[in-house]
Amino acid sequence: MDVVRRLLKNPTSLLGIILLLGFVFVAIAAPVIAPPAKSSRNVYLIPRDGFGNQPKPPNEKHIMGTTEGQYDILYGVVWGTRTAFRVGIVITLITTLIGLIIGSLAGFYGGWVDEVLMRITEVFLVFPFLLAAITLTSVLQTVYGRGEANFLVVLAKGLALLTFGQSPAKDLDPIQIQILTGMLAIIVFGWMTYARVIRGNILSVKEYEYALAARLIGASDMRILFRHLLPNAVFPVLVLASMDIGSYVLTFAALSFLGLGAQRGYADWGQMISFARSWIPSLGQYWFIVVYPGLAIILFVLAWNLVGDALRDVLDPRMRGRGND
Amino acid sequence: MSSMLSFIIRRLLILPLLLIAVTILIFSMLSMLTPYERVSLYVKDIPKRQGAMEGLIKKYGLDDPVPVQYWRWMAGTKNPDTGEIEGGVLRGNLGWSKTGKGTVWEVIGRRLPATAELALWTAIPMIGIGIYLGVVSAVNHNKLLDQILRVFSIVGWSIPVFVFGLIVLLFFYAKLGWFPPGRLSDWASQVVQSSQFIRYTNMNSIDALLNGRLDIFRDAVRHLVLPVITLAYLDWAYLLRVTRSSMLDTLNQDYMTTARAKGLSENKVIRRHALPNALIPVVTVGALMLIGLLNGVVITETIFNIPGMGSFLAESAISLDVISVLGITMFNCLILLVGNLIVDILYGVIDPRIRLR
Repeated sequence: MDVVRRLLKNPTSLLGIILLLGFVFVAIAAPVIAPPAKSSRNVYLIPRDGFGNQPKPPNEKHIMGTTEGQYDILYGVVWGTRTAFRVGIVITLITTLIGLIIGSLAGFYGGWVDEVLMRITEVFLVFPFLLAAITLTSVLQTVYGRGEANFLVVLAKGLALLTFGQSPAKDLDPIQIQILTGMLAIIVFGWMTYARVIRGNILSVKEYEYALAARLIGASDMRILFRHLLPNAVFPVLVLASMDIGSYVLTFAALSFLGLGAQRGYADWGQMISFARSWIPSLGQYWFIVVYPGLAIILFVLAWNLVGDALRDVLDPRMRGRGND
Repeated sequence: MSSMLSFIIRRLLILPLLLIAVTILIFSMLSMLTPYERVSLYVKDIPKRQGAMEGLIKKYGLDDPVPVQYWRWMAGTKNPDTGEIEGGVLRGNLGWSKTGKGTVWEVIGRRLPATAELALWTAIPMIGIGIYLGVVSAVNHNKLLDQILRVFSIVGWSIPVFVFGLIVLLFFYAKLGWFPPGRLSDWASQVVQSSQFIRYTNMNSIDALLNGRLDIFRDAVRHLVLPVITLAYLDWAYLLRVTRSSMLDTLNQDYMTTARAKGLSENKVIRRHALPNALIPVVTVGALMLIGLLNGVVITETIFNIPGMGSFLAESAISLDVISVLGITMFNCLILLVGNLIVDILYGVIDPRIRLR
């Protein structure tokens, strides 16, 4: 509670919290702010007003204008908030979970387990993050494009359950598969920092008296790990990791921008901005196709960064150098 | 010096191991493809005849067990008809790129100069301005300037590269017409392609200087301004923070008080005593950022329509040309590993504590 109070006192983190609450509100109220058509098959597909190529400037019917293909920008920005939260939260959850498992195993058992796991982590770290995500996305899209049933489909169904709340009994929707492949690729190359930090923390708390004392009175491995080590080594990391939601949303938006994430016409900020690529010489006239969705991403990521930055200072001054160890 | 030497040798020994591990990871991504999709690792144009595919799969053993295939992919395989060895990553063969209509290696050769030119022009402003801003921020700790720079840093850190790139294009190209996208204006690219103009490096700005064509140099630089800023601003935001906190730590050290007590001017205290020590951690970050340019160029080149490696990666990824994508990734990992090695060694030279670990 002390942490919350300190965050609210700090003007920058307060601004961040207000922004975040604003986005939560927009996400919840999306059906009211931008009501979908009754006939729409999937509310995340942005409704079109005709099929004309030229973007149209803001007018009474379309407050933020329309993009190429007459997709309503307001609708996309509003419903895109939901996509951003979903993508960001699910990626963060899974990457930290993987990092948690690998990091605590390595830190707790040490020896060759530690050696092997950390070498694997190192190999994944060699890959430049965005490049690796792009690469894996294109591989996964090829594989899913074939529609063969294998373990990858199970994986995607699990992810679909988490992200869209879709029952695993249902077949995967091609619209969703594109998003899921992007997310999977980010997850595969996103867990390493967490694993390293958690391992380091476990290594240091392992040597504290209370951990040794627990061992002396005969507590089991699992009990020591879960009752004594994890709460002290992991929770700060988890809280901080939750602030990475913004940067995951950024990476996913970059994939979408390149045409590898959400499909054309899906309510996703990165995808909406990608329309601007074909209008660069006339952007002065069509500024609204970049500025509105762009502002949405910037504010969203800024909000997380503001809170995360303050949290980093409040929670633990040692954490400032995270990721450079 | 012997500790330094053993440090370097240790790092050198790890390099091939990491490289092998990277190839295994890349190969495992490759093995997710069907043999049909992997044929272009070895074959340029796949004949359209019926049954041709099956023949090729058999010929190159694309149905064999995975370890056998891995070995073949690494070392190459003998073509039973001609007796020539085909494929083989170790022999520099990364497969045939459908997107680039050439071997992946040829495409890299064609696309690298544009990327290298961009990186070359970005390196110095990126590191220099980033560090300068950080020092200014630390020296003016908690004053207005510091606050403004901190806000810049956190806001800058939140702007996606593609939004930033499009917005600078909106203002400086679409509205003002100052800095166009692409690599050269039409008239300049005609000159560059003519026979009088000798292409030494294929980097336009440098070739223009070597040919003594200042007009073309100016044109090339004009096209580089926006992409360079787009590539650098994120790192300015980050370097500012790193330099600032490192500088603040140093300014609070006892030896700084000593230096001031000796009666040195504040300017000298900062330049001679604080800066060299504060920059030690910044060196690694800065060097890693240069390597990180590989990440940044994908989006920057795509937006600014620069035919480099980054935009090639994006193009081939969209057309699901996995062979090209994996080839480029492999090449980038190689650069990265070597770059990291150099950074490690440099860091060992600068900071003796590292060697003793």
